[in-house]
Amino acid sequence: MINLSHVSLELAGKTILSDISLSIKKGEIAIILGPSGAGKSSILKIILGLWRPDTGKVFIEGKNIAGIPEKEIMPVRSKMGIVFQANALFDSLNVEDNVAFFLREHSKLNSKEIRAKVAEILSFVNLKGTEKIYVDQLSGGMKKRVAIARALSFDPEIILYDEPTTGLDPINSKSILDLIKQVSDRGATSVIVTHILNDAISIGDTLSVINDGSLIQTGTVRDMLNSENQFVRDFFYEVYQDAALFKK
Amino acid sequence: MTGIAHSFKLKIYGLQEYTLMLVDLFKGLSTFWKTWADAVNEMYWIGARAFMPVLLGGIFVGIILALETGHQLDHFGAKTLVGRTVSLGMIRELGPVITGLLLAARTGAKNASELGAMQISEQIDALRAFGTSPIQKLVIPRTIAALVMFLPLTAIADISGILSGMIVSKLSLSIDTSFFWHSALSSLLMKDIFVGFIKPFFFAFFISTISCYYGFSTRGGTVALGKTTINAVVYSSLIVLVLDFIFTKVVWELL
Ligand SMILES: Nc1ncnc2c1ncn2[C@@H]1O[C@H](COP(=O)(O)OP(=O)(O)OP(=O)(O)O)[C@@H](O)[C@H]1O
Ligand SMILES: [Mg+2]
Repeated sequence: MINLSHVSLELAGKTILSDISLSIKKGEIAIILGPSGAGKSSILKIILGLWRPDTGKVFIEGKNIAGIPEKEIMPVRSKMGIVFQANALFDSLNVEDNVAFFLREHSKLNSKEIRAKVAEILSFVNLKGTEKIYVDQLSGGMKKRVAIARALSFDPEIILYDEPTTGLDPINSKSILDLIKQVSDRGATSVIVTHILNDAISIGDTLSVINDGSLIQTGTVRDMLNSENQFVRDFFYEVYQDAALFKK
Repeated sequence: MTGIAHSFKLKIYGLQEYTLMLVDLFKGLSTFWKTWADAVNEMYWIGARAFMPVLLGGIFVGIILALETGHQLDHFGAKTLVGRTVSLGMIRELGPVITGLLLAARTGAKNASELGAMQISEQIDALRAFGTSPIQKLVIPRTIAALVMFLPLTAIADISGILSGMIVSKLSLSIDTSFFWHSALSSLLMKDIFVGFIKPFFFAFFISTISCYYGFSTRGGTVALGKTTINAVVYSSLIVLVLDFIFTKVVWELL
């Protein structure tokens, strides 16, 4: 479904990603883990074609989007929804207009159908009745939900989440994770960027650990816990500790 | 030296990016009607809401022009020429330039700060991610709105300037209004009106695209946003003066 092959990226003379190869299968929940500044968000931008890699190929459902003009990327993008790290909601619009944005711009639905669809998605993300509120008046958790609703609005096959639970309280985090799981159960492929281990372990099918723009290891949770790599061991140190605590 | 070379390189790079944006803009014009609603909204903000400042600008420039030239011409016993000076001055030069400068500040600051804030908060990326071209959605409606609104605003500045010139001429130079009016109209040629009214279209196009370009080029935080807004207003104002010079010198002689 998504295939990065030897992707490298340099910005302003600084190496952001170096030789990343990554493969994400249809329907799975893939987690990209790593410390701050590792290049996690950059990988999502490459997958969406917002940034072009300097070298390497980016296949989305078999189509390489690395070297093609913006106009040809547009149809590929319509298969992908993204939840940006800082939400990137359109702050001049209200909740309904944010969620309806894609449908109004690109679908053939009439305004009544769009309104019905938006209401359905908003109730799915537990935001019923917030249609007319401007997004800057919402709380952090609600903004995140609106961002998720906007990403889901056109039933994309792939959904990219950039730090969906960062900065949220445990209750909100859990409900966002449940939401992601439900969306995944409907058959969507999910790519989740995070640095929160518990989230990664609780919902991820495969984990990819990156650091300093390089892929350190890809595998299941078990692979990670059995890893010989020192960085991976350090990163998962918390989990070993928790396990030790439970034994006590 | 390398610093100068580097900043020169950045300028050239910026010019190239700006040109590419213009190419995209012209390509996107064929489907401008898709963003008609956005364009109408922009017309309100950059056009209708600019009515007062432009009106006041026109009035005061007209007054100053009438008083200054009136006193000078009075020395030569030629104060009857005030009407003519005010009408030619307003329609050919000061009306368009004052409107252009006011709108460079107003529209330039608006476009650069709005688009810059959208850039910083990744809303521009979000537009692209949701399959919408930022040029199509943001630049084209703003440019069309400017192209539509700058001409009537310039006309307002022209008219208010001539009328206010007429009133002060009557009050402080005791020139009869009908006399002023006659001298103002009789000296006007089609060529004057044409040059005066073609300028706003060029001002509109460049103010709008330059300020949108600066908005898009914002990288970083609030300080960067301040800088791009300054750049947008400064370069928009300068382009008004440069274009005005080109029209006065080159186009006038060609006609
Ligand atoms: N527009 C940009 N221009 C230049 N460098 C950038 C840009 N955006 C990000 N970077 C750099 O790229 C590197 C990776 O950034 P990225 O946002 O991908 O990290 P991240 O893993 O998502 O971090 P975080 O967890 O803090 O969000 C960072 O060192 C950052 O400074
Ligand atoms: Mg990030």
